[in-house]
Amino acid sequence: MKPLVSILDGNTFVVSDDRGDIDPSPTFPTGFFSFDTRFLSKWELTVDGNRLSVLSVDDLQYFESQFFLVPGEPTHYVDAKLSIIRHRTIGGSFVEDLTVLNHQDQAVELTVRLNVASDFADLFEIKDMQGKAGETIALVEDDRLRLCYHRETYRRETVITSSAPAEFDPDGLTFALRIEAHQQWHTRLCVQANVEGAGGRDIRLSIQRHRSRSPEELRQDLQGWLDRAPKLSSDSDALTGTYRRSLVDLAALRYVPLTSGAPLPAAGLPWFMTMFGRDGLITCLQTLPFTPELTPPALRYLAMTQGVSLDDFRDREPGKILHEVRYGESTAFEEQPHSPYYGSADSTPLFVILLDEYERWTGDTKLVESLEYEARAALNWIDRYGDLMGNGYVWYERRNLRNGLENQCWKDSWDGISYSDGRLPAFPRATCELQGYAYDAKIRGARLARLVWKDLVYAEQLEREAADLKQRFNRDFWVADGEYYALALDIEGSQVDALSSNMGHLLWSGIVDEDRAAKVAEHLLGPRLFSGWGVRTLAEGEGRYNPIGYHVGTVWPFDNSLIAWGLRRYGFRCEAGRIAEAMIDAGRYFDGRLPEAFAGYDRALTKYPVQYPTACSPQAWSTGTPMLMIRTLLGLDPHGEHLIVDPALPERMGRMELLDIPGRWGLIDAFGRGRPEHTANLTD
Amino acid sequence: MADPTVEFFNRIEESGPGLLPTRARGTLRFDIDRGDEVDHWFVAINRGNVLVSREWREADCVVTTDKDLFDKLATGEAQVLAAYNRNDLTVQGSLPLLLTFRRAFPSPPGTRDPRERIRERFAGGRAGRNGESWS
Repeated sequence: MKPLVSILDGNTFVVSDDRGDIDPSPTFPTGFFSFDTRFLSKWELTVDGNRLSVLSVDDLQYFESQFFLVPGEPTHYVDAKLSIIRHRTIGGSFVEDLTVLNHQDQAVELTVRLNVASDFADLFEIKDMQGKAGETIALVEDDRLRLCYHRETYRRETVITSSAPAEFDPDGLTFALRIEAHQQWHTRLCVQANVEGAGGRDIRLSIQRHRSRSPEELRQDLQGWLDRAPKLSSDSDALTGTYRRSLVDLAALRYVPLTSGAPLPAAGLPWFMTMFGRDGLITCLQTLPFTPELTPPALRYLAMTQGVSLDDFRDREPGKILHEVRYGESTAFEEQPHSPYYGSADSTPLFVILLDEYERWTGDTKLVESLEYEARAALNWIDRYGDLMGNGYVWYERRNLRNGLENQCWKDSWDGISYSDGRLPAFPRATCELQGYAYDAKIRGARLARLVWKDLVYAEQLEREAADLKQRFNRDFWVADGEYYALALDIEGSQVDALSSNMGHLLWSGIVDEDRAAKVAEHLLGPRLFSGWGVRTLAEGEGRYNPIGYHVGTVWPFDNSLIAWGLRRYGFRCEAGRIAEAMIDAGRYFDGRLPEAFAGYDRALTKYPVQYPTACSPQAWSTGTPMLMIRTLLGLDPHGEHLIVDPALPERMGRMELLDIPGRWGLIDAFGRGRPEHTANLTD
Repeated sequence: MADPTVEFFNRIEESGPGLLPTRARGTLRFDIDRGDEVDHWFVAINRGNVLVSREWREADCVVTTDKDLFDKLATGEAQVLAAYNRNDLTVQGSLPLLLTFRRAFPSPPGTRDPRERIRERFAGGRAGRNGESWS
């Protein structure tokens, strides 16, 4: 397969091969996508009937790339007499500047052609394309080709135009050219994706604010974004490189949903360019000290879409925060439940946690005040619908048996939750980190109730409930023999006893009893969980352990970022530093862009981190990981109107300085320097 | 036979406070096409209170549907956002206001409290605390 090249603007993006072509391939899907629909499934450039070969590709920006091509097969192009440049940008529409250069002393006559098609596939259909329920027609007009799809009232349309005269036909467009000696020819191709609504207008236009942005506007927007972020300098090139990469990737991952004017963090390119409750909330938690502007729109959007009634198909309940929202055909026709889908048991407590963390950093009590209704509904959900079994824990079991998620925690693959011997527990399941989040949400909810909602009675009630939960949790989840927290409880109240990374999140939540924290830290950094590149999702030696199993042995950067934060909370400075250092090291192998996950092989075995095969990249909560690691290393934590800086850097990291950290204090700087006492003793 | 759309609008006026967030505010108009004529329902939301009148007035959010679809929305058989994505229902003006108003639409018919289903499944075996109904 040829390497894929992507450019994007929010949830509008192009994925092509390294020639710039889009081919219908079920295994490595390419295309021009917008709002979860593929608007081009073929975009194939030929010169005199021949495909082109690539000389080089420049990824200029996330919304811009350039391909240098020559006719013919690679073996023939050494004395190419022609070259072709495809320069493309995306900003609402997909724009390609096509330039053909004649390097000869004489004029040439050429036929340049683009083969064009659209299957209007829904993202959910792409890997398994069946016949479409609707009908596609190609309309050829003098100056454009329109590909139109309709199914009942649902309409999508792709419009292709060219600045230079072209001959349009239903399968593409042709240019019959004559280029003089040492001259060039140019055209600008524009591909527009229309989501048609009332009266044939694009629904996005009738709503608001959705308009194409020019590359110049996108460039300015990116520059502004970078200028507003804190400046990092450090002795570690790997760290500064990954920080810079993360800031740009995070900018790329912003998208504006139909119902909101401000950009939110989408979960990942290319298949997750939409709002996921869990991913969005965790990304905001990671990035709050750096790019706080992402958080208010994310909270407002999740509040606006909060569940208000029961719906089995969507696994929706009153008070629940959404899991995933989609706009494609299969969602519109209710074949898929994402309008929105609510199948996650953690997004609801995480919503309250982020709301509190946001106030701690910014002092913006107005937002907390305006979201009181939704925050209370979320806290109510924890004790009502979250507590399915009625015994004071948060449980999940899908009600949508057709295509709902079996595991509604972050390890949401089918085998993500298992006993030590590999058996899978029955449903409902109560995983440990859900209880940690519920505990933290109550503690933070109490703080907000006292500070902003001025409801002392409610604050005290939440604190009592939290204390009670912590006590029961430490009784029921603690595996006495192995001295660790069980992955989950089953319906009998027995422990699902696999040793897993989930208990690292418990440190972050503060639900771990002080006298047990050292044991937890020891396990997390021990040889069964720690690979040398990070903490594995599941410990070596467990029944289902597989170093390349999605949630059963791989290392997830975001998981590690929360674990390091938790270790720091309980005072394990060296251990937190060791994880941070491992992640930053791993980043080197991916040009500073941490992937979704990498293999759990021992570091001694592979020497470099092996990327998980189908990992999404960039992925928002991997992108947020270096930022949370920097926060953890510098020990940044708001305290009243001040920011506490308490650095604990491993010696090898040298010096680090972060300037202009935004918050309720205005802008503040933080410095840290590696010290031997903050350096873990490496055994490998 | 009772008209689900009429019943729906009568119901939301009665249950207004508590149905919507207290800060909710704005006006919606539903233009419901019955083939030969269009019914207008004007809904004013002010700090959680809901006032309904059958009249054409300028509104912050105008929703257009046919009568069949609105009857289904009114009884929970159809879902407003999926219908919007299908283009069966069109919106002009403030989509966020419609999202707030979404709270007024009921669950699909026959939906049961999931905690009740669990209690029944484990009846006799495990004791569960009495759950309040809240939907």
